[in-house]
Amino acid sequence: MLCRPSSRTIARMTNEPVGVLIVGAGASGAAFAWSIADIGTSVLCLEQGPWMHQKDYPTNFLDWESRAMGSFSSNPNVRGLAQDYPVNDVDSPIQPLMFNAVGGSTILWAAHFPRFTPGDFRVRSDDGVADDWPIDYRTLEPFYATNDRMMGVSGLAGDPAYPYHEPPLPPLPMGKPGNVVAAGFEKLGWHWWPSDSAIISREYEGRSACINLGPCTTGCSQGAKASTDITYWPVAQRKGVQIRTGCRVREITVRSDGMADGVLYYDHDGVLQEQKAEIVVIACNGIGTPRLLLNSKSPRHPDGLANSSGLVGKNLMFHPYANIRGVFDQPLDGRRGPGGCTFWSHEFYKTDASRGFVRGYSYEGTRGAGPVGTALWGNVAGLVPWGEGHHDAYARLHGHIAGIVAITEDLPDESNMVTLDSELTDSNGIPAPKVTYTLSDNSRKMLAHAVERGKEALVAAGAVETWSDPLMRTAGWHLMGTARMGTDPKRSVVNESGRAHDVKNLFIIDGSIFVTAGGVNPTSTIQALALYVADQIKKNIGNLFD
Amino acid sequence: MNETTNPLPDFGFMQALLDVVIPASADGRMPGAGALGIAADLTDAIEADRQLGPVVVAGLRALRAAALALDPAGLAGLTHPSGRDAVEAQFAAHPMFMNALLRFVYPAYYQHRRVLEALGEPPRPPFPEGFEVETIDPILLQHLNSRRRT
Repeated sequence: MLCRPSSRTIARMTNEPVGVLIVGAGASGAAFAWSIADIGTSVLCLEQGPWMHQKDYPTNFLDWESRAMGSFSSNPNVRGLAQDYPVNDVDSPIQPLMFNAVGGSTILWAAHFPRFTPGDFRVRSDDGVADDWPIDYRTLEPFYATNDRMMGVSGLAGDPAYPYHEPPLPPLPMGKPGNVVAAGFEKLGWHWWPSDSAIISREYEGRSACINLGPCTTGCSQGAKASTDITYWPVAQRKGVQIRTGCRVREITVRSDGMADGVLYYDHDGVLQEQKAEIVVIACNGIGTPRLLLNSKSPRHPDGLANSSGLVGKNLMFHPYANIRGVFDQPLDGRRGPGGCTFWSHEFYKTDASRGFVRGYSYEGTRGAGPVGTALWGNVAGLVPWGEGHHDAYARLHGHIAGIVAITEDLPDESNMVTLDSELTDSNGIPAPKVTYTLSDNSRKMLAHAVERGKEALVAAGAVETWSDPLMRTAGWHLMGTARMGTDPKRSVVNESGRAHDVKNLFIIDGSIFVTAGGVNPTSTIQALALYVADQIKKNIGNLFD
Repeated sequence: MNETTNPLPDFGFMQALLDVVIPASADGRMPGAGALGIAADLTDAIEADRQLGPVVVAGLRALRAAALALDPAGLAGLTHPSGRDAVEAQFAAHPMFMNALLRFVYPAYYQHRRVLEALGEPPRPPFPEGFEVETIDPILLQHLNSRRRT
């Protein structure tokens, strides 16, 4: 019998045992909390970051671009805030990105919201590489739909790249950049479709519609972009879920019988606290989750918790990104509007042996940059000199840029991993993660293909000049695979229900449990998985620990 | 003030430097960076940045020394093109310093109200007014209708 809910006030002030303890209040933790509240037990979430306030987001200020590069950077090593932990990324060509707050990385994400395709769950069967997932698209489909309603998703039904589904809101306008570049894809006869976006195109559930504030990756002052602090969490709290901020979990504790019995965490004053729970759920992202498991060593688990397979931290997958931009003669209004939510293309999504690589990638239409971003990018791209000639070169770019990014499928490789750094720690002295990652030859070929085809599309759209970055360094938004799902305890960390093979009351619900990465943004699938795992617990509550 | 002292408080030097990095446009529409009074804010930002700040200060120090070697008034005194060319050659020879410097100069310049107005950008934060929300090109959508899965 799980603990019954108690007074929210008392539970906030004490560490009395709870039924379900969730670590992390981001995309997956919020969705899970909202769903699991149905079972009537006490549910508590510990989050190392604070609640955010829309009035503090950069777009409230004239110097929004400077703020976006500083305390609202998506790179925790740049922000360096008290709630952040450093990540040693010296041995990775891609920098991991994240945000620590209620809402997690959905605070700063672009909200491009594709689902995985059915084929993404059967990579081994279709292409003979990596592994199949133990679950399939049909299993997740109802959870995708629920999640679309909870987040507020805008889109156009009927994309032939997917099984039919209906987003709850009409598609977001693509803006001049989207219209122009999509016309290039159309001219070439390539697949394109208005993106599913977790940004509301009209009023929805008390939230106001998008008003084109600009890049959504600085936080949405309007509240039109779905971040879980304004979607799932208010509803979850009304259902009785408690959330405790400023609390950084150091380790998961275990009983003598091997079951998890809670966590040790530092509260906002830096005091070590103990929180007992009957079920522990980890939702800390593909780097934070293996970090926590590896930090949870004990005599019974000397290599970290849930790590009898040795795979905790292994098989780290990013989505290696290529950035392809075009300069157009006509004005395109640059960054006004959701930066990454115009259209997508699955033209090169599936394996075609003639291309020289397995699997594929999607394109995502992008808008231009703000005034500062245009100048800085122009400098890096060698298109805008300082000194004489600066203004003429700048005028050619300002408001005249549109582009696409390629999101390539990264295949799992055990040598790509998250470990604990031997020296680096966070402000509480907890060992920080170290990322070791090498870009595969397959990914390199895929990126090169994506750049060439992408330039072709931009030229077809009318670009007078193209530019590309074949591997974006500041692009580690998607953190996956480091506690993979599977039916074989020797080859996976959690089972097909998200439960750790080694610890029967420990569940993992974030991108760590991905078996493969797909070639699209993962958050929709992360949240669908979290809802699915919650559903599995609810359905099997009577014999959950058998 | 000499070539070994901290160059950041030398606003005459900083102002002259800013006009080299972003001079006024020939048609006078875009102001030179030195005319905006941003030197003080700029130096604050450079001093506050523990990573890039030291790179920029070291580069500025070398640059000012080079300018003082050419003219007792330093960079501000280098009105002759050849003198200024010599300083610009120093810039060009140190791309890391220049890239670091531009990380401070461009934000200060391109978020200034006068510059935003000159660009045709409203000199206000994006929120709460936002910007016009357009429609999807109806001709493009017509193409999609024939391909829609039902």
